[in-house]
Amino acid sequence: MGALLTVDDVHVRYGDLVALREVSLSVAQGEVVCIIGPNGAGKSTLLAAVAGGVTPWRGAIRFGDVDVVGIRPEVVARQGLSLVPEGRHIFGTLTVDENLRIGGFIHKGRADAKADYERLLELFPRLRERLNFPAGRLSGGEQQMLAVARAVMTRPRLLLVDEPSLGLAPRIVDQIYEILLDLRRREGLTLVINEQSSNRILKHADRIYVLRGGRIQLEGRAADLADGEAIRSAYFGFGSPATLEGVAP
Amino acid sequence: MIAFLQNLIDAVSLGSIYALTALGIGLLFGILRLINFAHGDYITIGAYALIVPSADVTARLMIGELPLVVMTPLICLIVVVVALLSDVLVFRPLRRASSPTLMIASFAVSYIIQNGVMMFYGARPKAVDLWSGANTQILIGDLRVPMLQLIILVVTLVLMAALTLFLRKTPYGIQMRAAAEDFRMATYLGVRGNLVIGLAFAISGILAAAVSLLYTTQSGSLSHTMGLPLALFAFVAVVVGGMGSLVGAVVGGFAIGIIVTMLQAYLPPELRAFRDAFAFAFVILVLLVRPAGLVPSRTTFERV
Amino acid sequence: MRDFLIRHQTPALLVAGLVIAAALGVLTGNETAQVTLTEMFIRLVVVIGLWVFIGNSGIISFGHIGFMGIGAYAAAWATAEPSFKQIMLSGLPVFLQENQYPFVFAILGATLLPALVALLLGAALMRLAGTAASIATFAVLMIVNSVYANWDSVTAGSSSIIGIPTVVGPWVAVGFAAGAVITAYLFQISRLGLMLRASRDDEVAARASAVEVKRMRLVAFVLSAAIAGAGGGLYAQFLGILTVDPFYLGLTFITLAMLVVGGMSSLSGAVAGVFAVTIIVELLRLAERGVPFGSVTVGLPLGSQEIGLGVLMALILIFRPNGLSNGRELVWPRRAPTDEAAARKAPSAALAGEAAPSP
Repeated sequence: MGALLTVDDVHVRYGDLVALREVSLSVAQGEVVCIIGPNGAGKSTLLAAVAGGVTPWRGAIRFGDVDVVGIRPEVVARQGLSLVPEGRHIFGTLTVDENLRIGGFIHKGRADAKADYERLLELFPRLRERLNFPAGRLSGGEQQMLAVARAVMTRPRLLLVDEPSLGLAPRIVDQIYEILLDLRRREGLTLVINEQSSNRILKHADRIYVLRGGRIQLEGRAADLADGEAIRSAYFGFGSPATLEGVAP
Repeated sequence: MIAFLQNLIDAVSLGSIYALTALGIGLLFGILRLINFAHGDYITIGAYALIVPSADVTARLMIGELPLVVMTPLICLIVVVVALLSDVLVFRPLRRASSPTLMIASFAVSYIIQNGVMMFYGARPKAVDLWSGANTQILIGDLRVPMLQLIILVVTLVLMAALTLFLRKTPYGIQMRAAAEDFRMATYLGVRGNLVIGLAFAISGILAAAVSLLYTTQSGSLSHTMGLPLALFAFVAVVVGGMGSLVGAVVGGFAIGIIVTMLQAYLPPELRAFRDAFAFAFVILVLLVRPAGLVPSRTTFERV
Repeated sequence: MRDFLIRHQTPALLVAGLVIAAALGVLTGNETAQVTLTEMFIRLVVVIGLWVFIGNSGIISFGHIGFMGIGAYAAAWATAEPSFKQIMLSGLPVFLQENQYPFVFAILGATLLPALVALLLGAALMRLAGTAASIATFAVLMIVNSVYANWDSVTAGSSSIIGIPTVVGPWVAVGFAAGAVITAYLFQISRLGLMLRASRDDEVAARASAVEVKRMRLVAFVLSAAIAGAGGGLYAQFLGILTVDPFYLGLTFITLAMLVVGGMSSLSGAVAGVFAVTIIVELLRLAERGVPFGSVTVGLPLGSQEIGLGVLMALILIFRPNGLSNGRELVWPRRAPTDEAAARKAPSAALAGEAAPSP
């Protein structure tokens, strides 16, 4: 099975600060890959780089057959890659309905978008009840659902989700994961999910990468890492001398 | 009472002009965080496009002589092209620049356009008689209402309604509102950034062209700096209304129109010359009381 | 002494450069060159004033030419011929009408009056967020223009004030330019200047203490208005005749263009921009006047100078957003810090220099 996404030796710099270095990873069609790491590890930067929001200083990113480095986010999105960013970024003054339709405007065939819209509302009944609400008035969990639904409206092959559990009650987070995995089952969606903690993700992910200080510290199949010991040491950097990377120029 | 109503009509008509100008400026600010100084010069270009290009003191109408249904779209087209050119040549290369940089860049664009107009048309103001029929007066009770003022008000209301419908009901309108709220997120969802921005420039060009026609009909003269006071009052209107809010821009425009007209009417004669100083001082006072403007925008994250 | 100069080499080098430029200009003995040079130094004072606010706070001001105008009129009130003032400026207080004060008082007035106005207006304006504040500074320009153009009894607004002693030549002007550079430098390295720049560079820090930021901005605003006002005073005493017209958008544009071209985040940039823009404008002006080819004169059409300046400014913004100086300060080549970051962050470098133990 060929890789849907390949990240090869990517470095990202913000001025003098190196946010990512030598990051390489690959995601196969249909996989659920989780990237875990502490706050500031570079997880969001990695997803932004893949989605075209940040241009790497070095390295290659291939999505399907396309090299997406230096390509604008809207073009990447049209290739079938969608990002649900950290903090959800729903359009608060637009209605729930408008937020959803934005995602569908990518497609010329309106009929498809209409069908997607109906299908997603079945998955997210809470959103249907609030279609004409300004999205800013939804609860945090509803906003997260809207953000996911809106991204799925673009009909992605690959969905990147940045910290879906941030600031939400565990019960809501479970629901969101259920929906994400359901989408994967039904639509063959490939998922890359960022999380700060590995608790929930070990159950759901096929493979896991641990990112710290801008570097990949550990990579492996979720089944092999199930006891959590290797993840913990990679996450906190015990026994590793290179704890200050990413700050040095 | 009649005198007050008469003044009020003047105020609303002047306010309409400011509101239309402020709307064009506010629209671009919403999406690009650009305060476009060149907006006033778009208005100037629309006005000069009416006449034969020459440095002669007397102006001869060219496009301005055509029937209204031909002239209006033609003037709009010219102004839209200029607005889009300024985007492509100057603002597009500055997409990642900060808000102050954009503001200075638009100041440069404004300077270039103004001096360009002066180069081709000469520095002296020119008299034009665009549509003298519009200056007849209608009697409503004891009120004498110049027909032009009614036209200005109607055109303003129609344009505002059209813009509202566009923003609420059309896919591109929804995309523009999304981009205004969170540009990066909109592009992550496949919204074409340059297209939406170009559209905003085009709409702001149409609004400017409308002001060109209305204002030139009213004033009957052209000068290469004619757009400047309009733009300056409109900037202030945008700030007074609340930056980032289109409703605010309109409210601010009408507020400034009313302030200026009422000062003109009710200041003691010896102070009337200082009308603009009073108007701007009043604006500073308003901002002291409401630093976020009359209609504070919930969406715009303004930097400190 | 040597150590002192090394530590403060940026202002030392800038002042030395200014004095050399003035000396060269005077040595040519060319009247036109001296006039151009004097005008350039006066503009330098104004641009430095502008930089004190913009460079440190990051907020663009369009109002400082208003302060320059206030300063110019203050100087004119102090020094114009009493006979003229009694007839034309009957609204002035008697002590101004009947006396002619020396240059020093004129400049003092030209500094203090704009500072006072800036304090009053700034207290309101600095409450606004960045972009809104910038637009509001336009209101300042408008108010000053409207008042001074129409208040005939004190400004002779519709005509002009004449009979102002022309005491400002290249040497006086360069003296003030040097003074402005040193003042701006001292402000830049002061605790307040450093904090203000930190608030510009790091918005999060700025938000943490909004009240403090507003106060610091106000101080910078008042100081910069004072310097720009001094520039106005010099301008009045250089021309000898004063009208309201020059203190409006044209000059606002040229001074801002100078800052942009030089690079508004460094003091050296402000100085470099004044030199560069003056040279370019003079060249364009020459080109407008035309070059004779036999019987025909080939020249650029009138207005090319302005359009050229506008285009230059746009090009700089696009291709070199930090200006000619690239945001760095002028340092003696051998002593230049090798670390790129240190050079870019001039104030912290200056601070480090001060903290270093002296041998």
